[in-house]
Amino acid sequence: MNAEKEKMKKILIANRGEIAIRIMKTARKMKILTVAIRTAAEPDAMYLSFADEVFDNTEDLSEIPVFLDIEKLISIALATGSDALHPGYGFLAENAYFAQKCLDNNLNFIGPTPDAIYKMGNKTIARRLAMQNGIPLAMGSDGNISDEEEAVAMAEKIGYPVIIKAASGGGGRGMRIVRDEVEMVKMFSVASREAEKAFKDPSVFIEKYIENPKHIEFQILGDKKGNIIHLGERECSIQRKHQKLLEEAPSVALDPSLRKKMGSMAVRIAKAVKYLSAGTVEFLLDSEKNFYFMEMNTRIQVEHPVTEIVTGIDLIEQQIRIANGEELKYRQSDIKINGWAIECRINAEDVQSGFAPDPGRIEKLSMPDYPYIRVDTGIREGSAIVASYDSMIAKLIISGKDRREAITRCKMALDKVWIKGVKTTLPFFRLLVRNQNFQDGNFTTAFIEKDLEKYYYNSEYEEMLAAWLATKLFVEENLQSDSINVDFRDGKGMSPWLLNKRINQF
Amino acid sequence: MNNKLHINKLFALSSEKRKFSFTIPLKNKIRIGKRDYTVQLRSDDKFGTYILWKNRKYPVEVVRSRQNKYEILFNDISYTFTIETPFSLQRMKVLDSVRGKSVSESVKAPMPGKLLDVLVREGSTILRGEPLVILEAMKMQNEIQSPVNGTIVKVHAKPNTNVMKDDVLVEIKTE
Repeated sequence: MNAEKEKMKKILIANRGEIAIRIMKTARKMKILTVAIRTAAEPDAMYLSFADEVFDNTEDLSEIPVFLDIEKLISIALATGSDALHPGYGFLAENAYFAQKCLDNNLNFIGPTPDAIYKMGNKTIARRLAMQNGIPLAMGSDGNISDEEEAVAMAEKIGYPVIIKAASGGGGRGMRIVRDEVEMVKMFSVASREAEKAFKDPSVFIEKYIENPKHIEFQILGDKKGNIIHLGERECSIQRKHQKLLEEAPSVALDPSLRKKMGSMAVRIAKAVKYLSAGTVEFLLDSEKNFYFMEMNTRIQVEHPVTEIVTGIDLIEQQIRIANGEELKYRQSDIKINGWAIECRINAEDVQSGFAPDPGRIEKLSMPDYPYIRVDTGIREGSAIVASYDSMIAKLIISGKDRREAITRCKMALDKVWIKGVKTTLPFFRLLVRNQNFQDGNFTTAFIEKDLEKYYYNSEYEEMLAAWLATKLFVEENLQSDSINVDFRDGKGMSPWLLNKRINQF
Repeated sequence: MNNKLHINKLFALSSEKRKFSFTIPLKNKIRIGKRDYTVQLRSDDKFGTYILWKNRKYPVEVVRSRQNKYEILFNDISYTFTIETPFSLQRMKVLDSVRGKSVSESVKAPMPGKLLDVLVREGSTILRGEPLVILEAMKMQNEIQSPVNGTIVKVHAKPNTNVMKDDVLVEIKTE
């Protein structure tokens, strides 16, 4: 069989959760069969009911999840007669060896070539490619800097401001931001001494310091004929410890001319690796609108829906068509950005204890149903958020004619999401949509850590109502034990619900 | 507690020492300004247990309750209250004035996991929000932060050890 010539008929989904469902929905639309894998970790998962065929792998009790087991995935693909494989995101999506193994076994890998995955996955090669192609990079010294003179020369080359970093450092210690030559002469020895003191190693190096950057990424599509276009940007600056929480398309920070400039750079770096399928080029954008290439993600991304909404293009469909050898039917000039889209990642996390995962069973779940709300989820009532996988419950994706409308709708939608059983990131988003700086588009990647005093929103009376409930429970319980003499004209004794709770506790 | 005592008021004292008072028997009406609003605790198959207030439903859970201490999850945010009678509140005030204002706060592991790093020492002062330990769970490193301003009085956490949910990691004397 020649995967290049023949259109795929059956796709093995080498993933789980919402992205597995997302891929299967498009495959069904295109009349392609899908195979999902049932695992022991979540044998009743929602994604299984979207597949045409389920491969049972619950007997496999290996420590490594099947979605990371290359040999096993290949053998499942062959055993089920699949002729293609979609890796989704995470797991093996950016593993060049896996992509190659698929091709070796005549499986159409729905993604870029192993060569592109490898080159973009290797930071040194990716940086070199960017440099060779004239893509702006946050430059740095290749090795350590030994004295002030060398430091001044290097900073001159990179452009101020620069940051001096301890070679053995971390956590902000031994770092000095330097804005001009005079400062450099003063600060170099200070930084070096500080490094010596803190890490017993005086070596330092220099990097371009990007002040309050925004994280802006461009969606790329490339076909096997070498056509490459971009589908505009996504704004992903709302992140915590490099975990994105909210994404939008487009970004308030870009005007058409900057979009054109950054977009053409994104296309240029993709061309350098003859990129095909969907991919994302990430940039940092500083307050002066200078941008710097960070990396390229060679997969479909979690936040792809916001791009789909503003461009009207189904990215999974494009991935499948490209893998089938079809030529892109869009030219760059066909791509129009319409309206605004915002995605909130609703995760099972406790915003009151540093966004710590809060695994558990989802007891109740209902999502608002409006034409302008899209919910991508792999979770339903009764599903468990298990410790073996990520903590995502759902992606709440909201569209509007402009950013203001999208935010207003988002605020409303957040109050209509109903989840019981685990704590979620909802209170964080409720806070965010009410934040003036967020509303004004005035935020950077440091926003959550620097600009927010607390990470959740509660309306004026919520605490009082919780206090009322606690008091009610106290009264009901103590009526049973008869330790307080209270008159229960309003009381109806202990509610069955409370009784249940108490039975479960013991 | 004297069970002959007639109690006409109860206080819910939050962990941040905010005080909410309710008349007993407890009414399902709460006065805001000049108006009374009805508050109802309800439960059904679609929504589970919720509070209905001003035509809006709020999800609620009792996370735990022990004696007079209640942890309530209300609209995804947890609140801890102790319920005090006028009598016990008076006694608390007396005790507080005797031993000074400070109280000890135990920081517990929010989930089972492995402690990668312990960032505080006994005797050091800490601000609310500062990291205490790094706990690895669900393949993620989680910073456990101090819920209060205070002084570390006891560190139970040891790096590279496993902890269970609710194991006490650090005790902090609040300011």
